[in-house]
Amino acid sequence: MNRHAGVSIGIFIVLLIIWELAAQRMSQLVLPSPMIILETLWLHLTSGYFLPHIGITISEVLLGLLLGGLFGLTAGIVMGESVFFRKVLTPYLIASQAVPKLALAPLFILWFGFGMTSKVVITALVCFFPILENTMTGLKYSNKQQLDLFRMLGANKWQILFQLKIPAGIPAIIAGFRVGVVLALVGAVVGEFIGGSEGLGAVIIASQGMMDTPLMFSSLILLTALGMMLYQTVNLIENKYFAKYIRRQR
Amino acid sequence: MGFLEIQNVRFSYGQQRNIIDHVSWQIEKGEFHCLLGRSGCGKTTLLKLAAGLLQGEDGQIMINNKKVTKPSNEYGFVFQSPTLLEWKTAIENVLLPIKLKRKIKEQDQLEANNLLAQVGLAEHIHKFPSELSGGQQSRVAIARALIHKPIILFLDEPFAALDAITREELQHDLLQLCKEQETTVLFITHDISEAVFLADRIAVMDRGKIIFDTIINLERPRLEHTRYSVSFNTYSKKIRDVLGSKHI
Ligand SMILES: Nc1ncnc2c1ncn2[C@@H]1O[C@H](COP(=O)(O)OP(=O)(O)OP(=O)(O)O)[C@@H](O)[C@H]1O
Ligand SMILES: [Mg+2]
Repeated sequence: MNRHAGVSIGIFIVLLIIWELAAQRMSQLVLPSPMIILETLWLHLTSGYFLPHIGITISEVLLGLLLGGLFGLTAGIVMGESVFFRKVLTPYLIASQAVPKLALAPLFILWFGFGMTSKVVITALVCFFPILENTMTGLKYSNKQQLDLFRMLGANKWQILFQLKIPAGIPAIIAGFRVGVVLALVGAVVGEFIGGSEGLGAVIIASQGMMDTPLMFSSLILLTALGMMLYQTVNLIENKYFAKYIRRQR
Repeated sequence: MGFLEIQNVRFSYGQQRNIIDHVSWQIEKGEFHCLLGRSGCGKTTLLKLAAGLLQGEDGQIMINNKKVTKPSNEYGFVFQSPTLLEWKTAIENVLLPIKLKRKIKEQDQLEANNLLAQVGLAEHIHKFPSELSGGQQSRVAIARALIHKPIILFLDEPFAALDAITREELQHDLLQLCKEQETTVLFITHDISEAVFLADRIAVMDRGKIIFDTIINLERPRLEHTRYSVSFNTYSKKIRDVLGSKHI
């Protein structure tokens, strides 16, 4: 484990050095050096300029995730359980996926305004599908024997759902959320690109306008850190609360 | 009228016709019957029909004078593979039949503890299935089938994954538990001496039919030395001949 961490850090340092060397040959407008970016980042963090933007982006991601997750889970369970709904809804689902959702962003801004609502809706829409899809597959993880067992024990269909199918599907459902959080961040940032003056996406657009490349890079670093944190949070929750569901039969 | 009545039952898996080919059988209350037969002859299928997990095409199944149309938690079933829930510990798995019926009480916990101790798993009650050996998993499955005191018990080669000594111990325990609770048992096995040791009556199946049956008239309770008596060997030899003859 430690050896892996060592190699990871080594690669990071090499990349930084290459970056620094490249930056020395180029204008700051194209590629600022790592030190300058770090300075900018530090400056704006301590001055409090970044804080509200970070807050907005995180709120959009979390609210969108909540909304998309709730709908994705429910729809996944309904479509996983009922052949009727699966058959009826699948064409709509495919159609809704075929539409490039990010291309809908301008429309949502038209409908829901420049505030947070439009971005939350976009975010929710983007992470809805992987969560739905994974929930639907997850429900099929319980095997025939386990189903026979529950039938034998006289379990009703709710008990089969909540005590067999959902627990058996938890690894897949969590994998859906892992994909969902990363996509959610993309959704929120793209929303901010298009409309509004708040959030890290808006900062990137603004820095482009001001030709402030170090500021743009600082925002990108923050977004990367944010994405990694969200991803890790899902892993943390998985290990803390769902460890026993991840165990599989040898 | 027997406690379990299988009357002229026929069953096909889709295109595979007559996997069970007009079988009739009956078991009186409290009796222990064993079903023997080569792999693929239809034993598991017959057991599932009897328990209501499958529906026959002709004939009918009666348990305790009631027609069997679907599974019931009054029956106990031990599947050919242990079929434990991977996210539950051994004791939680044993308590599952109760949990699906009502809230678990202190009393049930004790009962589950006792059963697990009886099958030799006292130290493993809080382990997950992935931390148990194959044989230990089978024993958890047996304890689970007994916890809700079924009126009839169906077992599908429950001891197949166990070593000879553990197997003999569990055979004793099973006989004792079933006697205490007056459980009627239908038990599938590949092992001739296991069948002779356990059964009041043995049926031999071949290609969906029962081709031979015999009462096992050995002393009760069956003890260790029963296994080495002359009549035990006579029965074993007889059944061995029946099983072998069909395919030579
Ligand atoms: N779900 C199924 N669909 C189609 N055919 C099946 C199915 N289950 C079993 N069969 C077939 O039915 C026949 C009887 O199977 P069954 O499981 O009852 O055998 P068995 O006597 O229990 O064998 P074993 O001792 O190996 O467990 C086999 O030929 C098998 O191929
Ligand atoms: Mg079988």
